[in-house]
Amino acid sequence: MKDRMKKIGEFFKDAGRNVKLSMCLMGLGQLFYGQVGKGLCYFAVLVLALIYFIWRGIADLAGLFSLGTREANTWLGIEGDNSVVMLLMGILAVIALLFLGVCYVANVKDAYETQKLCERGGRPASFKEDLKQLLDRKFYKTVLVLPVLGVCVFNILPIVFMIAIAFTNYGGSIVPPKLVDWVGIDNFVQIATLSQFAPTFGKILLWNLAWAVISTGLNYFAGLGLALLLNKECVKGKGFWRAFPMLAYAVPGFITMLGFKFMFSYGGPINQIITGMGYRAIGFLDIDAKWIARGIGIAVNAWVSVPSIMLLATGILSNRDASQIESAKIDGANAFQQFRHITLPFVLFSTTPVLISQFIGNFNNFGVFFFLRGGLYIDGYFLASDTDLLINWLYNLSINNNYYNVGATISLIIFMITSLLSLLIYTRSSSYREEDTFR
Amino acid sequence: MKSVKTVRFLDTAVTYMILIVVCFIFLFPCLWLILASFSKSGSIYSFEGFFPNAYSLDTFRNLFTDTEMYNYPQWFRNTLFIAAMSCLIGSFLVILTAYTMSRFQFKGRKIIMKTTLVLGMFPSFMSMIAVYIIMTQFGLINKMWGLILIYSAGAPMGYLTQKGFFDTISTSIDEAARIDGATNFQIFLKINLPLSMPIIVYTALTSFVFPWSDFILPKLLLKEKNLYTVAVGLMSLGDTEFSRFAAGSVFIAVPIVILYFCLMKFFVNGMTAGAVKG
Amino acid sequence: MMKRILCLVFTGIMCLGLISGCGKKEGGDLPQNVSTGEEGAAQGADLSAIYSGELEQNVTIRVLENDTAIAEGYFQELINAFNEEYAEYGIVAVDANMDQYSNLADDGPYGYGPDVLYQANDILMKYVEGKHIYPIPVESLECYEKISKMAWDAYRAEIDGVEYYMGVPVNVQSSMLYYRKDLLPEDWETKWDKDGNKIPDMVENWNDMYRYSKEIVDKGEGKYGYMRSLYDVYFSSGFLFSYGGYVFGDNNTNADELGFSAGNAEVGANVLLCQASLMNEDCIDDSITVNAYSKLADGTYFATMTTPDVYPLFLKELVLAYEAEGMDAETAKSKAVENLVVTEVPKLPASGDLTEEDPELIPLKAMGGVNGYAISAYTKVPNACLAFVEFASSYDMAMKRNEYLGIVPARSDAAEAVGGISEIIYRNLDEGNIVVMPSIRAVEQIWTPAQTFFQDLAKDAFRTEDKKYATLEEIKEGLKTVDTQIYDAIHTLVSK
Repeated sequence: MKDRMKKIGEFFKDAGRNVKLSMCLMGLGQLFYGQVGKGLCYFAVLVLALIYFIWRGIADLAGLFSLGTREANTWLGIEGDNSVVMLLMGILAVIALLFLGVCYVANVKDAYETQKLCERGGRPASFKEDLKQLLDRKFYKTVLVLPVLGVCVFNILPIVFMIAIAFTNYGGSIVPPKLVDWVGIDNFVQIATLSQFAPTFGKILLWNLAWAVISTGLNYFAGLGLALLLNKECVKGKGFWRAFPMLAYAVPGFITMLGFKFMFSYGGPINQIITGMGYRAIGFLDIDAKWIARGIGIAVNAWVSVPSIMLLATGILSNRDASQIESAKIDGANAFQQFRHITLPFVLFSTTPVLISQFIGNFNNFGVFFFLRGGLYIDGYFLASDTDLLINWLYNLSINNNYYNVGATISLIIFMITSLLSLLIYTRSSSYREEDTFR
Repeated sequence: MKSVKTVRFLDTAVTYMILIVVCFIFLFPCLWLILASFSKSGSIYSFEGFFPNAYSLDTFRNLFTDTEMYNYPQWFRNTLFIAAMSCLIGSFLVILTAYTMSRFQFKGRKIIMKTTLVLGMFPSFMSMIAVYIIMTQFGLINKMWGLILIYSAGAPMGYLTQKGFFDTISTSIDEAARIDGATNFQIFLKINLPLSMPIIVYTALTSFVFPWSDFILPKLLLKEKNLYTVAVGLMSLGDTEFSRFAAGSVFIAVPIVILYFCLMKFFVNGMTAGAVKG
Repeated sequence: MMKRILCLVFTGIMCLGLISGCGKKEGGDLPQNVSTGEEGAAQGADLSAIYSGELEQNVTIRVLENDTAIAEGYFQELINAFNEEYAEYGIVAVDANMDQYSNLADDGPYGYGPDVLYQANDILMKYVEGKHIYPIPVESLECYEKISKMAWDAYRAEIDGVEYYMGVPVNVQSSMLYYRKDLLPEDWETKWDKDGNKIPDMVENWNDMYRYSKEIVDKGEGKYGYMRSLYDVYFSSGFLFSYGGYVFGDNNTNADELGFSAGNAEVGANVLLCQASLMNEDCIDDSITVNAYSKLADGTYFATMTTPDVYPLFLKELVLAYEAEGMDAETAKSKAVENLVVTEVPKLPASGDLTEEDPELIPLKAMGGVNGYAISAYTKVPNACLAFVEFASSYDMAMKRNEYLGIVPARSDAAEAVGGISEIIYRNLDEGNIVVMPSIRAVEQIWTPAQTFFQDLAKDAFRTEDKKYATLEEIKEGLKTVDTQIYDAIHTLVSK
C-alpha cells in the first residue's frame, strides 16, 4: 500500500507536459508524441462516452438513486417511470463510468510509459507497431476485450441487478407501473425474523448439498468410467458404442424430463407393467415418495449428464501421455494402479474446473425436480416440497409467488455460501495452484 | 501364458457386458420415444406397456406438412440458425479466452478466474428479468440475433473446462517457435489450435447443443410464433398431440447425432500421440 | 404536491382528449353499433380520455386469440368478417401471432403486446392493478343487456372508488359430465331410472354414480365407472364449495380470508375420498386427465368430468376406437356423436354420504371461468379495438364460435338459441351454481397448496396403513393447512 502511494507520488512529480495533457484530455498527450492513431482512438473513446452520458447516462445515474418519481397511468396517458428499467440502466451507466475510468487510467499510463521510453532515448511506438503488439505481447488484451464486454453486459449486469433488487421492495404488488424504492436491509431482516423460514432453509440446504455431492460424484465417475471403458483396446467399434450415450445427449433435456415424468407416473408404462404383472402401482413421484423421488431424480440427472462428461473425458484422455503408461506397464503396474497413479491425477487435474462447474450446475439444478415433481407443498416445509432444491424453492417464492425482492435476498445468501465454498475448494485445487504440473 | 489369455478373455467379456447394459440404459428411453413417434394414434395411452398398438409414418408426415398451427419446419430452421451461429461465435470466444487464460500471465488474471467461477453460481433464472429488460432496451426482442448475442456472450463464462485442457498441452513448442520469431497469435493459430481438436470439438458440440435444446431464453425473447424454436414450439403443443411431440423430439436429436458422427474422427484422434511431450 | 401535479396532468389530458375529439369530427360516420364517446361518458368522465369515439383509420389491430379457436378456423372467420365490415375505414384485424398464455404485463409496457386479448377472467383481471388493460364502456355495447350479470361480475373492478368493467365476457367454462351411452346397463330404463325422466340416475346424482361404478369395478374386468384426476383443483374444489367452502372471503374478493376449510367443506372432501376408492391410482396424479380421451373411447372408463371445450378430442378418439372395431368412417362418426353424451354434473347428497339410499340432493357447485375480450392499455388504437370487441361479441359471432368450438356463449340469446349444454351452463351460472374463478391476483397462490391437498387425499384412498384422512376431523385439519399455506403464500412475504 505504502509502495503504491509512493509510486503515485513519484508519478505526479515525474509526469511531463504530454502526460499532463493526456490527463486533461484523453489522447492529447499521445498526439503530441506523434502517435496520431492511438491519440485519436483515446479521444474517440472520450467523445463516445461524453455523447452517451449527455444523451442518457447522467439521467440514468440519477435514476439509479431515485428509482422513478412519477407513476405511470395508462388510463390517463401518463407514461411515468419504470423503476426496474431505471435501476438496470442506472447500473449500466455505472459500468460505463467504470469503463471510462479504466480507459482514462490506461491513457495516462500509456502517456507516462511513452515519456519514460523517450527519456531512455527510445522512440514512441508507431500505430502500426502498437497494433502488432496487440497480436503478440498484448495478445491477451485483444482476445479478452469481447468476452469481457459480453460477460459484463449479459452476466454481470443482470447479477448486479439482482443483488440490487435484494435491497428494494420490488415484488408482490409493487411491480411497475408502481414505483419501486430502496429499502436498505429490510428484506434480510424480514427473512431473519420469519420463524417458518429457517427450518425450511436448513432442511433444503442439507438435501441440496447431499444432492450436489452425490450427483456430481456419480456423474463424474460414471462418465469417466465409461470413457475409460470405451478407451480399452479390447473394445471394437468404439464409435458405435459411444453413439448410445450420445443419443441421450442429443435429446433436449426438458423432453427427457417430461418423458421420465410420464414414465414414472401412475398411468405410465412402468406402472402399467407392474399392474399388468398383478402388483399394485407404485407412486414413484407422488406425495409420499420422498426418497424414491429423490433417487429417481439422481438417476435421471445422471442419465442426462453422464454422456457429456464421457465426451469430455474421452477428449482429455486422448491427450494423455501414452509413454508414461507404457513405462508403468513395463514396471509391472496393474490396471488399477495405472488408473490410480497416472490416469486419475491427470484427468482430475485437467477436470477440476469441470468438477466444480458440475457441482455448481447440480447445486443449482432447477430442471430435474421442477419437471419431475413440481407443484407440491409438503407439510413441514414453507412453500416447498421435500425434493425441492434451494433453486426450486427460490422459484416458488420469487417467480411463482412474485416476490422478487425476497427471491433476490435468498439468492444472495445462497450465492455467498456456495461461492465461498467453491472458491475455497478451487484455490486449493492443484489445477489452480500448480497450473504447470502436466506441461 | 494360458492364464493371461483367460484373464484377457474374461476382461473383454465383462467389458462388453457392461457396455451392453450401459447402452441399453441409454437406448431404452430413446427407443420408447422413437417408437411413440411412429404410433398411429396421437394419444400416448393407446400403448401396450411400452409399445404402441399400431405403427404408421403419419406423424412424421404431419410434422412437416400440417404446418398451419404447428410449423415444425420453420421452428427447425430457426433453431438451426440460432444454434449454428451461437456455436460458431461462442466456440471461437471460449477457445480464445481459455487459451489466453492458460498461456498468459497478466495482472488481474487470477481475479478474473475467481470472478467467473463465482459468477456461475448465481441462480440464472433470477437474472432472466434483467436480461429481458436489457433486450427490450436494445430493441432485441423478437430478433434471432438477440438470442445469438446472449448465447455467444455467455459462452466465455464456461472457459474453465477448455483452460484445463490447454494447461495439459506442453509449452515447449511454443517457446521454440517464439525463438524463431513467431508472434503469440501465430503460435496459437499454427501450433496450439491443431493440437486442440478434441476440446474444440467438445466445445463446438456443447455450444451447439445448449441453444439447440434451450427453452427458457427463446421463450422469453421470441414472442412471435414464426420465430419459435423447436423447444418452445414443442412445449406449446396441445394435450393430445403426444405422437407429434415425440416425433418432433426424435427429429430434433437427428442433427446432433449426425454432427457427432461427423466430428468423431477429429474428436478421438485429434491428438497426435503426444507431440513434443515432456 | 405529487397529487396536485397528477391532478393537473389529469385535467390537461382530459382537455386534450376533448379537443382532439372535437377536432376530428369530420373523420367519417361511425357504424351504428360502435359506441361513441358521449355514450361511454355515462361510465365516468375519464373513459372519454381513452375512447375518443373516433375510429382510427387505416390501422392494424393485433388480436391474441386462443389456440383452439385458431386451429378450428373460427378466428380466421372472425377476422375475415370484421375486416370486411370495416374495410371502408381501413381497419384490419390480424392474429397477434403470440403464445395464447403470454403475459400482457411483461410484453405490453415495452410495446410487444397485442391490442386485443382473449383470455380467462382470472388472467385478464391480473392486469387491472397495473392498469395494463383499459376499462370498457360496457353500457354502450349492444351485448350489455344480453350477458348474464354473473358473467359481467367476473370482470368488475373497483378502482379509486369507481366501478369499471374490464372485459367483455364471451364464453363460460364449467365442468360437465362426459359419459358413454352405450356403456350404460342394458336395463337402465327399468332399473336405473327411478324418477322415470328418461335420464339414467347415475348421471343425475353421485350416489347412483357411486353404486354403478362399484358394480362395474366389482366385476373385476379392469373397467371403471366415473374416473377423474382428483388433484385438479379446478374440478375438485367444487365439492368443497357445495358444502360451504369458498376460496376468498367477501364473495371471492378478500384475500385476507381463506375458505377452503369453511362450512362443512370436509364433507365434500370426503365425497372425493369415497370416489377415489372406486378408481385406481391413476387418480392421484394427472394420468386420468390425459388418458381419459382414449380410456373413455376404449370403454375402460364409463364417465369423466371436464370442461365442454375438449368435446372434439373425446369425439375424435371415440371415432378412432369405433373404426378400429371395424366400422366405416361414417358409421363410426354418427355412432360416436350418438353415444358420447355431455351433460350437467350430477347432484350431491346433502348428507355427503354416497351410500345413502334416496338422499336429499343438492346441486354440485362447480368452479368455472368466464373467458372474454379485453383491450390492452398499450394499444394506439383504442376505438378500433373497441369496435373489434363489440363485433366479436355480437350474436352472430357467438353463434359461430359455438358452432366451431362447442363453447358455451355468455350471451343469453345465443345460449338459448344453441340450447343443450349451453343452456344448462348458462342457467347454472345464473343460479349461482358455477363459482366463477376469483378475479383478484391472489388467486395465483391457491393452486399449489390445494393441489397438494387433493393429491394427498386421493393417495389416502390407496394407503393401506396409517391413513391420514380417516375421519372428517382429519380432513378438516388438512383443509385448514391448505388455507394457512395459501395465506402464507399471499401475505408472509409482503414487504412491510
